Amino acid sequence: MSMRKWAVGVAAGMLAVTTAPAVAPLGAPQADAQDDTGDRTVLRLGVTQSIDTLNPFEAIMASSTELMRLTYESLTMPSAEDMTPTGALAESWDTSDDDLTWTYTIRDDITWSDGEPVTADDIAFTFNLMMDDPDARTANGSYVSTFESVEAPDPTTLVITTTEPQATMLSLDVPIVPEHIWSQVDEIAGYGNDTMPVVGNGPFLITEYRAEEFVRLEANPDYWRGPAEIDELQFRFYRNSDAAVQALRKGEVDLINRLTPAQFDALSGEDDIEVNQAQGRRFYMLSVNAGAATADGDPLGNGHPALQDIAVRQAIARALDRDVLVDRVLGGYGEPGTGYVPPIFADLHWQPEDDQAWNFDPGAANAQLDSAGYERGPDGIRVTEDGDRLSFRLYGRSDRNADTQAGQFVRDWLAEIGIEVDLEIMSGNRMNELQKAGEFDIALSSWAVNPDPNYVLSIQTCDQRPSAAGTGGTTESFFCHEEFDELHAQQLAEFDRETRTELIHQMQRVIHEQSATIMLYYENALEAYRSDRFTDFGYQPADSGVIREQLGYWGYYGATPATNPNASASGTSTGLLLSGGAAVVIIAVAAGWFVTRRRRASADDRE
Amino acid sequence: MTTPTSTRALTWQRRARALRTGWRSFRAQRGAVAGLAVLLTIVALAVLAPVLTDESQLGIINTMSNPALAPPSGEFWLGTDENGRSVLLLTWWGARVSLLVGLAATLLSVFIGTFVGIVSAHFGGWLSAVLLRFTDFFLVLPSLVLAIALSTVLSRGVGTIVLAIGLTAWPTTARLVRAQTLTVQARPYIERSTALGAGHGHLIAKHILPGVLPLVFANTTLAVASAVIAESTLSFLGLGDPTQISWGSMLKFAMDSGAVTNGAWWYLLPPGLGIVCVVLSFTLCGRGLETVLNPRLRGR
Repeated sequence: MSMRKWAVGVAAGMLAVTTAPAVAPLGAPQADAQDDTGDRTVLRLGVTQSIDTLNPFEAIMASSTELMRLTYESLTMPSAEDMTPTGALAESWDTSDDDLTWTYTIRDDITWSDGEPVTADDIAFTFNLMMDDPDARTANGSYVSTFESVEAPDPTTLVITTTEPQATMLSLDVPIVPEHIWSQVDEIAGYGNDTMPVVGNGPFLITEYRAEEFVRLEANPDYWRGPAEIDELQFRFYRNSDAAVQALRKGEVDLINRLTPAQFDALSGEDDIEVNQAQGRRFYMLSVNAGAATADGDPLGNGHPALQDIAVRQAIARALDRDVLVDRVLGGYGEPGTGYVPPIFADLHWQPEDDQAWNFDPGAANAQLDSAGYERGPDGIRVTEDGDRLSFRLYGRSDRNADTQAGQFVRDWLAEIGIEVDLEIMSGNRMNELQKAGEFDIALSSWAVNPDPNYVLSIQTCDQRPSAAGTGGTTESFFCHEEFDELHAQQLAEFDRETRTELIHQMQRVIHEQSATIMLYYENALEAYRSDRFTDFGYQPADSGVIREQLGYWGYYGATPATNPNASASGTSTGLLLSGGAAVVIIAVAAGWFVTRRRRASADDRE
Repeated sequence: MTTPTSTRALTWQRRARALRTGWRSFRAQRGAVAGLAVLLTIVALAVLAPVLTDESQLGIINTMSNPALAPPSGEFWLGTDENGRSVLLLTWWGARVSLLVGLAATLLSVFIGTFVGIVSAHFGGWLSAVLLRFTDFFLVLPSLVLAIALSTVLSRGVGTIVLAIGLTAWPTTARLVRAQTLTVQARPYIERSTALGAGHGHLIAKHILPGVLPLVFANTTLAVASAVIAESTLSFLGLGDPTQISWGSMLKFAMDSGAVTNGAWWYLLPPGLGIVCVVLSFTLCGRGLETVLNPRLRGR
């Protein structure tokens, strides 16, 4: 009878899930109650995005790079106020007249968490490792692409020489690792960096990590800016954002981000909860496989050949109604996509002239495909001259809610212009694999942009395409365009802000015209926190910024506990909710038991 | 005056009589009749959905003028989802996938189960031992975990879900059918056929299968209920094809879009009640059939 028991169990489970969602996250730390009542102040984050690795040379997911920034101080850091470079490991810096030699003065009062001093040697080691080992360039390789040498003549002096002037020398977003630990690592690729506690020098140190469950970080008592106001930081993972929201409501977590518009609206009016809306530095896009190839130019994967035709890509860009996406997918909390750099960086953001913009115009898209020679077949789907149907695979991630919704919009809009789309939603890891191998046609993708956009621009250059062995570099859709690469090299060497801005505008124009990256929208960051436990955070930028997923650690470092964080105000409602949930579960289990008993009674009576 | 009747005609007369008796005793059970009525209504509505409703309203680019997550109103009796689609329409169409997957998965599992059960009981010996251990192996595996693993490895789609459920749900049927086959085989008429020279094929097709089928049928009806729930569970966990509307995927979208947080009960209840209705009706029918087939259960 196990199948029926199973069915009953599932029924009871589903009832419990739908009526009392998220009673507790999977395997959350058992010491919850103590956290609230003890002297320790714990900031608990509800996180829905998984962590790829704790290896700072390979971590590219937003949540793991955030962890790396908390653990490892970098050379300089974008300020909390306005994201301009400010000192971190380096207290001052100087550059030669030709802008090729940079000399940084390193602080002498910083130590690693195991007591060793932080010296210029550690920094030189980190950069040299990235220059020597392609695996170490996986995540942040763009920063060292023009480095010629990195030397530490004495413990407080670091000298970096570059082959060409590089404009990002004060925004090197690279976690600096301890040499005495990392020099023992033989193979960077695949190294987990999970020996606890992780030796670092940032404001928080990772002391416990369980994949898909939680990460525990403790405040670094010897942190050079002074220890944080809170004692401990926890990342708790939730399967879906509604579970995280319920956890916030019940006081199980203190801060959540990446809210859906419906959740944001619902939380706006609630007691003890404060919402925060900030213009985001993230864009959402269609990544089109316009001919995947290795860095040597050998074709890779199995992308649809028709997508190598710029006319097809532009027609796709014209067939999408971005206002509707903002309205439906973002609930209005965002802006339709135009240039590659989001409008939060007002001067760098580029907007096409109105007659060049990809305004929603299915008629023009159809006309473009007609004139490019793609006739409609008997089923209404266009075919190439070789007789291939314009039928594209569109991939999205199951852990990003927008993908299913936006994917359906894209599919239906493209059907209007005679392009068939097979939408497939898969796990994030599977999609990364397929994208890396070039085995996709169109993929939904999203990147966060730094104040210095060099990194996010660099992922569109030819050099970032993988080697024949499939390693090294991070490319977005294998884009490779000569003019773009030239502009990229020029802007990297340009120190005049205005000229460089103009070059970056030109690069965005190329991306726009080529349409291998089709911008959809920029979403606002929607966050919410328990105002009864925390009153303030370090926002970035200071007036209207975000708390989570910053460039830096200001959000958590500046977290200020409410005057009486141990107040039991939320205790009663939590208790009520919990007992209510427990009652529902008990009733469901009892009902299940009753049904199985009944079943067994009649089954036993049978011959 | 009597005309000589062939044995074939006699058989059919007997079967028709048995069917009438069966129907009479089925009708006597109020619960079973109610279950059947609800079930037939739901199936009829699901089958006629393309005729009775406007399918284009399921496409999210056709509902852009509708309000999102709006509560029930005169225009949308059960409110709208995050894309402005009518929840009533979604529930209506969701029944199609849920029922289709439920039935297809059950047929697959019952087919495998019946085959393994009959073969292992009829042939005995080492074949039986191997098949039984095989069945036991699947029986002790946690079905839900196995189904999740299968649907993760295989590509997304309705077929995968059917396969995942079908491949994990058959061992109970196999055990049941084996037991019934052993009982039927012990009856004298089987021995008589063997003595008259009947081969394995004839024995199984003509004598054992008809004896086992009623039980298989009752079991199938009950198994559909679990398959429908399994489908909803897998879709709810995001392992189904999110572009197909089923009751499970509706619940998933409701969770993903923040309907729970927003108090959008109209988005959660209809698919949930749909699952409850279908599962309950199948269970009622199945129990009714069991009672018809097993006189000892009557009058309880």
